[in-house]
Amino acid sequence: MTNNVTELTPADYPLSINRPELLTTPTGKSLDDLTMAAVVAGEITSEDLRISPDTLALQGQLAAAAGRRQLADNFTRASEMTAIPDAEVLAMYNSLRPNASSAAQLEDLASRLESTYSATTCAALVREAAQVYADRNLLAEED
Amino acid sequence: MTAVAPQPTGSSIRTSKRTEILEARPVNLDGFVEEWPEKGLVAMESDYDPQPSVRVEDGRIVELDGRTRDRFDFMDTFIADHAIDVETCEEAMAVPSVEIARMIVDPRTSRADVVAVGRGLTPAKILDVVKLMNVVEIMMGIQKTRSRRTPANQAHSTSAKDNPIQVAADAAEGAVRGFAELETTLGVVRYAPLVAIGLQVGGQVGRGGTLTQCALEEATELDLGMRGITAYAETISIYGTESVFVDGDVTPWSKAFLASAYASRGIKMRFTSGTGSEVQMGNAEGRSMLYLEIRCILMARGAGVQGLQNGSISCIGVPGAMPGGIRAVAAENLVASWMDLECASGNDQSFSHSPMRRTSRLLPQMLPGTDFVCSGYSAVPNKDNMFAGSNLETDDYDDWNVIQRDMQVDGGLRHVREDVILQVRNKAARAMQALFVELDLPPITDEEVEAATYANSSDDYPDRDVLADLEGARSVMERGITGLDLVRFLERAGFGDVAENYLKVLRQRVSGDLLQTAAVLTADFVPLAAINDANDYAGPGTGYRLTGERWDELKKLRHVTSAENPEEEVV
Repeated sequence: MTNNVTELTPADYPLSINRPELLTTPTGKSLDDLTMAAVVAGEITSEDLRISPDTLALQGQLAAAAGRRQLADNFTRASEMTAIPDAEVLAMYNSLRPNASSAAQLEDLASRLESTYSATTCAALVREAAQVYADRNLLAEED
Repeated sequence: MTAVAPQPTGSSIRTSKRTEILEARPVNLDGFVEEWPEKGLVAMESDYDPQPSVRVEDGRIVELDGRTRDRFDFMDTFIADHAIDVETCEEAMAVPSVEIARMIVDPRTSRADVVAVGRGLTPAKILDVVKLMNVVEIMMGIQKTRSRRTPANQAHSTSAKDNPIQVAADAAEGAVRGFAELETTLGVVRYAPLVAIGLQVGGQVGRGGTLTQCALEEATELDLGMRGITAYAETISIYGTESVFVDGDVTPWSKAFLASAYASRGIKMRFTSGTGSEVQMGNAEGRSMLYLEIRCILMARGAGVQGLQNGSISCIGVPGAMPGGIRAVAAENLVASWMDLECASGNDQSFSHSPMRRTSRLLPQMLPGTDFVCSGYSAVPNKDNMFAGSNLETDDYDDWNVIQRDMQVDGGLRHVREDVILQVRNKAARAMQALFVELDLPPITDEEVEAATYANSSDDYPDRDVLADLEGARSVMERGITGLDLVRFLERAGFGDVAENYLKVLRQRVSGDLLQTAAVLTADFVPLAAINDANDYAGPGTGYRLTGERWDELKKLRHVTSAENPEEEVV
């Protein structure tokens, strides 16, 4: 998740114009590779139009440099989530609804985020939710 | 309780001729209600709101607005643990409210300083500050604290018949008139893929770089975003009380998770909230509307979402009925801006029968400028507006442009010549016609293209075979059609410039630039956000000024008499 570049400053924004050399897709392509010719030739897939965890880390640096720590934290969670398939992200979201999950189910979710996806900050958010849901009587009954 | 006079009945009471005229005025069709603070039916001045307080122990907030941690509901917990800066809150809370209110208004205090003190304040303290401000001071505050320097506007493009050709043509016209973002929704939800495609295609025809969204239930909205059929999302509702949150089947933690999910796909997103929603949903817990909305705003910041749509939104009838209600709505926009969030500031729901009142409700956002003055402006006639009608609609385009010119304010729109409008409407419809062939969808006839070019409302289009369209919409989802497929088809069908615009919008999600606060794309595909276009208002002569080319553009109207020849109009 680390980039061997110096800390970004607000002057680097927008990255698509000022620092395109720092941007790659999760499939290793550069922005310049995403041309109409490549699209027509069938060389570009939807995977090539996704954001990479490294890019989210860079945007997090910019958000932090602009004094927006919560936005930066959001980008940290998001960078962890890039690895999680679409359907599973939605399922995880649904399991965080009130009275949808038991304490054990939320702990399982947190463990899965950590062990399968190395999503430690996401796991921390889930554990925090589990604690609050317990205090506010918003957990599902244990099976 | 105050005494309640019976409504006059029958004709036995003689009224003056003037009263008859006043009774017939549209404003008397509006609803007005007495305050009932115990039930939260009060805009922003309630004895039942808590007093500001904060206490920190071991680096953690243990008391918030008179409640100790053991008595926190989940909103208090989330706000205390995520929204408020623990290191600065005791110092910030010690600053007298009147001092903070004056900092907001005083141009010599920078936006950065005002934002910094705001990061340490509790909901009750923020309420205490804005209660000191009259509506002009609130507008001063919005002018200074708005996050993006350049104001913008957002449109609705929908169809009473869910006609995707209409949505495309009206999106193209809206985009060329200047809307930076376009939003649609559906009557029949299964039509969503075709209508969302129409919005995207129309937007890219009208003005490359326009961003589009389709407001639906969360799973479908996210799905369309992940496929690249839409570019951003906004209809992610949050609420000011725990009980209403639970009724909505969500929590601050689930919504924070969803915010990250969108960012993880490179998709811009903001939350939605607004005064009146809690009392309308029957659980305001005896708090004023603005107090509860401030809790929403802090929850949004705590979740790390880049922005918020607020300003009562679909509940505008509730604060609109209350004394000081529209002042409170302006105050909620101020607080969202002050809390350093992108603010899409309402003016998006049918609000009053009175044209005067519709305009006065608009000015607190339009005059100071906000990130999106309307969220949105109906770019279709209100009878086609599937968000139940907006405060502004297509009939108001010329009035809007004249108000911009009168006041020399930038409300994000411009007058566009008829030939240009017809050209983009026609092109959007033809692009859809070609795309439907490529997608093997029910054909769009030349008659429909012709209708789209010259239409006003859905009445002006031939009816479509709805069942066939719905079957086509289903197949678009089942075949897993993505934005990339649409780009390829548009290119192949001879709409290379539209395809190129669309591809550039999709490429943005690789860079993540649109995830930053208040980001929009210019016509040159330059991301403009509260970083490279940060609001630098610091009093007269600073900040965004309507000058130069843009001012020349806004001087143009449908009819302006030539100075050289009074017999001619300027084109």
